[in-house]
Amino acid sequence: MRRFVANTIWIAVGALLVFTTAVAQDQELAPVSDTYAIRNVTIFPSPGRRIEKGTIIIRNGLIDGVGENVPIPPTAIIIEGDSLFAYAAFIEGLSKTGVKTPGEDDHSRIEDPGNPPPHRAGINPQRDVRDYLDPNDPNIKELRCAGFGASQVVPRGILLPGSAAVILLGGKTPDEMVLKPRSACYSELTSNKTVYPSTVMAVLAKWRELYHQAELARDYAAIYATNATGLPRPETNRTLEAFYPVTTRQQPVLFRASKVLDVQRVLALQKELGFVLILGDVSEGWDITDMIKASGARVFLSLDIPEDPEEKKKSKKDSLENAELKALTKRRSEFIQKMTAQAAAFDSAGIKFGFSALDTKYSDLHKNLRSMVEAGLNPDAALAALTINAAEILGIDDRLGTIEKGKIANVALFSKPIFDKDAKVMTVFVDGALYTCTEKDAHKKTASTVEGTWRMTAQTPKEEIELKVVLRKSVGKHYSGTITGTRMPEGIELTDVTLDGKTLKFMYDVLLEGKPQEVVVEGDVEGKTFKGKITVGEYGNYPIEGTKDPER
Amino acid sequence: MKVLRWQIVIALLVTFPMAATAQPDVGDVLIRNGTLLTVTNGTLENTDLLIRKGKITAIGKNLTAPEGCRVIDATGLFVMPGIIDAHSHIALEAINEMSSPLTPEVRMCDALNPLDISIYRALAGGVTTIQTLHGSANAIGGQSVVMKLRYGTLNPTELIFEGAPRGIKFALGENPTRVHGAGHNMVPRTRMGVEFVIRSALTEAREYQKKWDEYNEQKMKRGFRGAPPEYDDRLETLAEILRGNIIVHCHSYRADEIVMIMKVCRDFGIKKLVLQHANEGFKVAPEIAAFGAMASVFSDAWAYKFEVYYSTAYNAAILTRNGVLTSINSDDPGVIRHLYHEASKTLKYGGLSRDEALALITINPAKQLGIDNRVGSLEVGKDGDVAIFRGHPLSIYTVPVMTIVDGIVRFDREKDPDDMRIYVDPEERFDQSGFEVPEGYHDCLGTATETFHQLFESH
Repeated sequence: MRRFVANTIWIAVGALLVFTTAVAQDQELAPVSDTYAIRNVTIFPSPGRRIEKGTIIIRNGLIDGVGENVPIPPTAIIIEGDSLFAYAAFIEGLSKTGVKTPGEDDHSRIEDPGNPPPHRAGINPQRDVRDYLDPNDPNIKELRCAGFGASQVVPRGILLPGSAAVILLGGKTPDEMVLKPRSACYSELTSNKTVYPSTVMAVLAKWRELYHQAELARDYAAIYATNATGLPRPETNRTLEAFYPVTTRQQPVLFRASKVLDVQRVLALQKELGFVLILGDVSEGWDITDMIKASGARVFLSLDIPEDPEEKKKSKKDSLENAELKALTKRRSEFIQKMTAQAAAFDSAGIKFGFSALDTKYSDLHKNLRSMVEAGLNPDAALAALTINAAEILGIDDRLGTIEKGKIANVALFSKPIFDKDAKVMTVFVDGALYTCTEKDAHKKTASTVEGTWRMTAQTPKEEIELKVVLRKSVGKHYSGTITGTRMPEGIELTDVTLDGKTLKFMYDVLLEGKPQEVVVEGDVEGKTFKGKITVGEYGNYPIEGTKDPER
Repeated sequence: MKVLRWQIVIALLVTFPMAATAQPDVGDVLIRNGTLLTVTNGTLENTDLLIRKGKITAIGKNLTAPEGCRVIDATGLFVMPGIIDAHSHIALEAINEMSSPLTPEVRMCDALNPLDISIYRALAGGVTTIQTLHGSANAIGGQSVVMKLRYGTLNPTELIFEGAPRGIKFALGENPTRVHGAGHNMVPRTRMGVEFVIRSALTEAREYQKKWDEYNEQKMKRGFRGAPPEYDDRLETLAEILRGNIIVHCHSYRADEIVMIMKVCRDFGIKKLVLQHANEGFKVAPEIAAFGAMASVFSDAWAYKFEVYYSTAYNAAILTRNGVLTSINSDDPGVIRHLYHEASKTLKYGGLSRDEALALITINPAKQLGIDNRVGSLEVGKDGDVAIFRGHPLSIYTVPVMTIVDGIVRFDREKDPDDMRIYVDPEERFDQSGFEVPEGYHDCLGTATETFHQLFESH
């Protein structure tokens, strides 16, 4: 499925975009006016509606006018929209884009794994994603140039990482980006595997206990606030206080639950405790739409579609080719098809849903959406999921989700209608600011070989890590290899090495404090240099650079 | 007040459809002319058994099939109650919460995995009900699930045996001391430590229960002002054990620790005790009988670690003859497929009767799990859970041919496709052997690998 060369979707097609005025590239220069007029553009103001040759006026960050005969203010920077297609910029319902990993310095040994400090167990509901937003994260730009203008971001971490916020994908400071703080209490069924709670059943037990404790603390705090005289002083507890709005149903719980069993676990918990639930990253929900509908939970479906391993392999002579293999392959394909058709199933079941793209490559987003439409999802329903439905689920449909006068100016201009194979995002307005997505120089196809020895240096806050990576060609885009380096004198086998276009990606497993961690290195190869990032399990990602050894 | 009432109405409206989906499927089936091994009422030759809406409604000769009812000809076949395994760990996504020696608050129903293929394999061995337990890493582990093997459903709730009493895992001896003493350098490091951990936990729970009882009593009084005690799910669960609402299933091997746990239970007023494994149970069988504890044992598994060297295949028979209600369990996804063989060993080792041997895997485990009013024998009014065998189930030549749960055929040897998985992983690789050689890859084995492949292709 990764047949597309990554990023080619975003190759510049400059001819399509004609500006009458010089416009700042990606906000490097302040624009001469905060008023824009996009004229002669095909507008899709909301799913199912279409305006030919219309005009959109953007002023002061808001949409000031939409229609066929809208007067253009004299101060407006005019954008000729001939051959362009305007949509409300998309909204992602569960995202970690632009969110830094909390810099945990505490790696001390935990004496009693049954009773760890809460932050080590992942019990951090009092944390706020706003403290971890990085407006300069290059991924924000990438997501924006996939047509997105807003997202609900969540803190990184396990179990109860903190409260989510709806942000606009533009702005210089975290506060400037935030549209709706504390939009949800975020939770996952994940755990720190070595301390309590380490398994899914203990995670759920802990959840229930915290919830009941919060209810009791909340009620007692209310009594104490009315008349404290003669009453024992309640201890303040930020963990429980963060749960109060959940127990009073004022704040929803955004629960990441991808697999069919996890979704049901979360639904059972919700049924037992009664909180307001938003399911996020759902990828196996097609068989349980009735149950989800009955629960009243709102849903963000995963935009991910698994790759067929056969596509990767493409080996002509398969020595295991036989009836059994064929039957197994058939079933596997059936399930990929079911995942692709999931959104259509939710739409038929009458469940309102949006999308989340947690593990999806940005360059695959549009391709996956097209596959979902091909698998039966009504294009209008797909557009609604990306725009107005997501806005409604997040409670921001008065501000976002359609191109309407008075709404925040989040508008994406495409080169073709969105589900067209060749559609490219040309320009995105976020909060009234213009961002261009067409870069001419970026993507030369490099067919250079990466086989050989690489010297790489990763920069962590503590130290510089020297690595030596040896890569050998395997099949197609696939390679094999080993890595040696600081604290890894033995050499570790890389688990999955791919070169996709010029994007080199490999993984390996290390033990950190006795806990297995997956390390992912991903970046771009330019001739004999490599530049990218290294992600170490839950510890976060750091820059990594390398050069190819000319010796071999 | 009005608002509150509306909330309740809305809550009911919202939750009702979900509750409805959790109702298990039931079916009608007439099994004709079989040899019925009823377990509680001897063997009935050439007899029919009728199941309607999941319940056994009639046992007798020449029963007529109601309209639309499936008829199974069991001529020459043996029909017995569905086998019950009191000790299993299948259908779980996690087994041990190893981080603490005390985890009574965790519930195995939260880790239930209805997609586990082991459920189907157990059905293929005539098993219809199991207790799936927390592992033995902790002195007090999590709460178990009694479940029916309704393989095919996605919903974990539909597997749960409706109304079965709650159970919990305790564990003594080498496992908890190895995990926590040796592994985490903490109590319990010794057998004494295990006893200490259990006693102090139960003592704390008793105090906790008292605190809450007092608070709840005071709260009812006019003008009461005070803070509630801290809520603790762990102590809450232990208090439920003290109230007699949870059956203790205690992993134990040695006679001394069996006597110890019975003493602990006596001291804390715990009466519902099932000794799991109890390899040395035969040494203290009269004491176990006097306490009223039950035992769920292996047929003949031992010597896999130090504390299980002193064991015997006569254990089940000795316990039975001493008046201890005994079952034979699998504790294993492989053994669960032939519990009938495990039970048959007691015919040779200890000379139990056929009915006694069958009881070890049917009515006795049902009693241990508190579900004998529903399953464990072929009786009118009981659940339509039936296993059909070609050959007597205690014969080494027997073959399970069909397994029925709640009147629904869940395993049929005639219709047994190769791939019975409910969900598949779309990214799975099939070749787990490592023999698969990627194209362009050269290894030092060279042509040897090709030869190896030819070996398998040449058939």
